[in-house]
Amino acid sequence: MSGSNQKPLEVPEQSEGNEQGSPQWGEPKLSSDRTDFNALPEFAKLPKANSRHKQDHAALAAEFNKDEPRVDWHDETLWWVRQKRDKAAARVPEWELLRDTASRIKDNVLSNLSGYLRQFEEEATRNGITVHWAADANEHNEIVLSILSRHKIDKMVKSKSMLTEECHLNEFLHEKGIDVVDTDLGERVVQLAGEPPSHIVLPCIHLKKQEIGEIFHEHLGTPKGNADPQFLTHAARLHLREKFLTRRVALTGVNFAVAETGEFVVCTNEGNADMGAHLADVHIASMGIEKLIPQRRHLGVFLRLLTRSATGQPITTYSSHFRRPRQGQEMHIVLVDNGRSVHLGRKDFRNSLKCIRCAACFNTCPVYRRSGGHSYHTAVAGPIGSILSPNLDMKKYADLPFASTLCGSCSNVCPVKIDIHEQLYKWRQVIVQEGYAAAGKTAVMKTMNWVLSHPGVYHTAGKTGRWFMLNAPFTVKNGFNTWYRQRDMPTPPKQSFGDWYKKNKK
Amino acid sequence: MRVGLFIPCYIDQFYPQVGIATLELLEKQGCEVVFPPEQTCCGQPMANSGFEHLTKGCNDLFIKNFEAFDYIVAPSGSCVLHIKEHIHDPASQKPPEAASSDRTDISALPEFANFPTAHSRHNIPGKIFELVEFLTDVLKVDKLEASFPYKVGLHQSCHGQRGLKLAQMSELMAPPFSKPQQLLNLVKGLQLVELDRKDECCGFGGTFCVFEEAISVKMGKDRVADHIRHEAEVITASDMSCLMHLEGILRRQQSKVQIKHIAEILNARL
Amino acid sequence: MNESSNTATRNSRDKILNTVHGNQPAPRELPPLPEGTPVAPGDLAPTFITALEAIGATAYIVSGFDRIATMLHEQFPGARRIVTGCPQLNAFAEAAAAAKGLDPHLLENVELAILPAHFGVAENGACWITETQMVERALPFIAQRLVLVIPHSSIVPNMHAAYDRIAALEAEAPANTYGFSTFIAGPSKTADIEQSLVLGAHGPISLTVFLLDEELSDAGYF
Ligand code: SF4
Repeated sequence: MSGSNQKPLEVPEQSEGNEQGSPQWGEPKLSSDRTDFNALPEFAKLPKANSRHKQDHAALAAEFNKDEPRVDWHDETLWWVRQKRDKAAARVPEWELLRDTASRIKDNVLSNLSGYLRQFEEEATRNGITVHWAADANEHNEIVLSILSRHKIDKMVKSKSMLTEECHLNEFLHEKGIDVVDTDLGERVVQLAGEPPSHIVLPCIHLKKQEIGEIFHEHLGTPKGNADPQFLTHAARLHLREKFLTRRVALTGVNFAVAETGEFVVCTNEGNADMGAHLADVHIASMGIEKLIPQRRHLGVFLRLLTRSATGQPITTYSSHFRRPRQGQEMHIVLVDNGRSVHLGRKDFRNSLKCIRCAACFNTCPVYRRSGGHSYHTAVAGPIGSILSPNLDMKKYADLPFASTLCGSCSNVCPVKIDIHEQLYKWRQVIVQEGYAAAGKTAVMKTMNWVLSHPGVYHTAGKTGRWFMLNAPFTVKNGFNTWYRQRDMPTPPKQSFGDWYKKNKK
Repeated sequence: MRVGLFIPCYIDQFYPQVGIATLELLEKQGCEVVFPPEQTCCGQPMANSGFEHLTKGCNDLFIKNFEAFDYIVAPSGSCVLHIKEHIHDPASQKPPEAASSDRTDISALPEFANFPTAHSRHNIPGKIFELVEFLTDVLKVDKLEASFPYKVGLHQSCHGQRGLKLAQMSELMAPPFSKPQQLLNLVKGLQLVELDRKDECCGFGGTFCVFEEAISVKMGKDRVADHIRHEAEVITASDMSCLMHLEGILRRQQSKVQIKHIAEILNARL
Repeated sequence: MNESSNTATRNSRDKILNTVHGNQPAPRELPPLPEGTPVAPGDLAPTFITALEAIGATAYIVSGFDRIATMLHEQFPGARRIVTGCPQLNAFAEAAAAAKGLDPHLLENVELAILPAHFGVAENGACWITETQMVERALPFIAQRLVLVIPHSSIVPNMHAAYDRIAALEAEAPANTYGFSTFIAGPSKTADIEQSLVLGAHGPISLTVFLLDEELSDAGYF
């Protein structure tokens, strides 16, 4: 291989706008004797680090990583939860069989969801529950508002419900002058802090106890500087008891709804769903339509898996089965679609609807643990959020399927065996096909692919290692700065393996 | 048996000694090893970035180079997994179907019409092996003339481990095993160190390493720290891409810890 | 809800059901349910008690309600308001009848609630209690401390057996067909602040479970 009499290297034109068009072979752009990569015109076109959207996962994660000790703390806290999960699962000899069974029950649910929804509606109605249907987030919020308005009530308590986060119910009701108090301790903390939850099971896992102490000092009047979890929890208990006793409407989420009996199950450790529901005149339960299971005995499978996967507990403190309203009480169920029925039609992605929101995939995810929940800029973060969110808004969440190394740990911990990492890979294909990939990335990929499909070009691209430094995925993007900023480059050897082979073997 | 040697592009360009070790190792085991000179890349870097539809060229080239061999062996679990799962079959190329309205059914996309992966005539998915599994499962190697008197930390590269199942995964409640460890145990003088997190990802992840630089580097630093904490002198893996990333971090930290591909260790004579 | 939003809901219902129906995949069979490996053979009570203790509760095997009353006297000497759903303890506490049908808010100052439950689950320490046993739905949650009484012989190995048992209970007596019921496993708790476990989040700060074994002589256990 030599640099002197080599013919100029052709590369496809790096067209930024035309992402699906066939490559056109343009003028030579590279020659092997240029060495200042950053000065190359090719790189002028590429996005500078993190310049694409200020709000994409990479940029938000980089922000989070400015405080490395905090990242370590976040990572270790969640890794500890993952280890608790491992220990709890190891105590169940039939663990893998349970996962398999849960996955197959959910396959059955998805294959007959319309039937189970009808059956559930009929049974729940027979039990005296009012069933509502909401096509989207807005309709869900309007239904809740209409129930409140009918009772002329402007205050309510709410227990944990990721669905209402997805629907931005709090913001909606706040605008209408309704006061909503989140009663899960972690959710109350983030609510007082004016932030969304960063984790679906541990909503304020991103906050340190000192910060929570500060928030409580400011909003609940606890003594400044007191950051003792026992003390703060007790302060919240007193603060929230007053809310439970004075609110007449309680909204809860739903973990499972049983088609056979028309009942629904809510799992909490704190007892906040029950405190709210049993003290209120009106209980509203909001659920995504995928939360159904066929029969009550299937709960045995899911309740064995849910909390062991989530926190390593054998079961939550309370697994409450609501079948009929209490005497004199109204009970409402809002069945929410919000994109789920469409998602169901996506063969490669429908399995994500099996999710039981245990967050095991969060806790095991090496990226989540180091980027924090807010870097996903969506209600459900983590690996599962990265495959659910593009369904809701492909453009806005085009970055999320790329926020993964595809290591596959998530799919292995998932109690319903969702092929999470494979769906991440497939979403990447769809997002690129739909034209949501960054232009610079597309250009790079096309060039790289073209060279790699042409061995002649590949082998004459320059000195050993030379072509690679310009084109390999780990060296492109603003020269190789993003590789080089915190990592050294491998030193190119004197000869490539191909060269060695030619000399020594052929 | 005739073995086609697939040397992934970055090994060819940056780590020729890994290719050499792989070749020698296989020859010592009595294989007839051929390196088809026109090979380049498996296509994974593009595919994992969402550009699988561009990789037909790479795929065709791969098939042309390798379909005639009894076995194809590569010192990279990641590339092997990609080929196994995504190589297409030119013999079964269907005409593009009428555009599906469902843009999320990948197989319905016209761009993917020629990507059925399951059973292809060239049977490349059935005869391609990552080096370690080729040694343990096909050649059934149970002794090696190798010696490497160092404390070694084994990095379990995810695609090899979780994709090709080279070792039991810590997430699953199932009996432990490890094919790379099985081989390393045959090396004289080698002492494996225990890690706190025995199969956490290093953060390389293809283009992830540049597009998510902050997390990628942090993951790499944490992996390296785990090995160093347990006094590893050498970090090994069956995937050079992970090691390249870890090496970049080690060198930047001016650490004395070395990286070695598992082929280099299994082929080491001191 | 007014007329117009009713119509909207109905439209959404049909729309959702139609889309779901059109998009759902081909039928998939339900799998057989595992029975679960028994945690330990024979007497399940020790396993149940170990599970309970691991989740922050206390358990005692007792010979009868007299014994329970004595122990509660010793353990909660200062409790001002005690409500029970066990008629055998009416002399000791406010009877269910008095509290039943009350505005649940009036239970706010209950310091101790003593309630019967149907059975316990060995694998996780949970007790199954149905509405009729609770006096009021709110009581097991709003009381500062909770005591549950279950038959010693009632422990089932795991959650699969638990749901079989629930079905059997309903078949036995229509009264067991609950409008509300719950598994209670330990005192109310949270670990939301830096994963530090704190007992007594919103509900009871302690849970005591008595395993009632009428065959037992009073002598042995304490
Ligand atoms: S995807 Fe699986 S692991 Fe993740 S939250 Fe859902 S059920 Fe849990």
